[in-house]
Amino acid sequence: MKNLEELKMMREKVKKDLQLRAGGHRVKIVVGMGSCGIAAGARETMNEFLDLIEKSKKTDIIVTASGCFGFCAQEPMIHVYVEDKKPVTYRNVDKEAAQEIFNSHILNGKIVEKYLFSKGKK
Amino acid sequence: MKNIADHLFDIFENSVNANADMVIIKISFSERIFHCSITDNGIGITGEEVLDPFVTSRKTRKVGLGLPLLKKAAEDTGGYLKIKKTNQMGGTSLEFEIDMSHIDAKPFGDLPQTFADIYFAWPNIDLKLYIIKNSKQEKVLDFYTMREKENRGLSNFIKTRRKIVSIMHEEMKNLNIIE
Repeated sequence: MKNLEELKMMREKVKKDLQLRAGGHRVKIVVGMGSCGIAAGARETMNEFLDLIEKSKKTDIIVTASGCFGFCAQEPMIHVYVEDKKPVTYRNVDKEAAQEIFNSHILNGKIVEKYLFSKGKK
Repeated sequence: MKNIADHLFDIFENSVNANADMVIIKISFSERIFHCSITDNGIGITGEEVLDPFVTSRKTRKVGLGLPLLKKAAEDTGGYLKIKKTNQMGGTSLEFEIDMSHIDAKPFGDLPQTFADIYFAWPNIDLKLYIIKNSKQEKVLDFYTMREKENRGLSNFIKTRRKIVSIMHEEMKNLNIIE
């Protein structure tokens, strides 16, 4: 490493790699993390998903966050993107709901109607 | 927001929304005063209007509560919150102080976990965390190197998550934030 330019180039490269790696997944879970989501316990939800992924030893599932989904009263909300399928949105996802959604939808492809908010819309 | 950890996570999202890719957080805790500064290289703000709950840059709603809520939480304890545009990085710099011995102070919450959450929630942001103790500044977390390590296959998300939590746990103990 010699100068700032080189450092910047390295940074860009790593960023690209990271995106590539982030692209190689089967399921993406997006947790709404606006002020409303956080106040409603979205961090617990996200951690539950991370725990569940860790326990299941799956490497093709990623969890990320986004801002407010626009339905603050129904937070914590999540989008579930399964490869080649339309996205599914769930509402009021607490720890229990997270477990149910993980075991049913993410591992076995069965949508959990109880917490369903919408299907096929982003 | 139940605790300071929630607030931190929440205002961190402001930096993300401002298109920042580097955030520097500095914290100190001495004589029960919790001091925290957050500097990012995002698009910046124009003035202090963001502290008004009825001002937001977002289009889904007309109110923005993150900063006003934290300001209230700080001022309730006799502390303060300041926010300004920075010259060096072109982003925003925010600073707040909370007197933890005050009866209205919110608890810290799970700060170690919060930093692990930030790491996973926003994979494109490099966070550097410094802890200031006895007027000495020490770098505790550097997400850039952690991500690079993961990228090279030297680590994975489970290891990184545990590592962040354990480093932070140790540091928070040293600062007397966790008993």
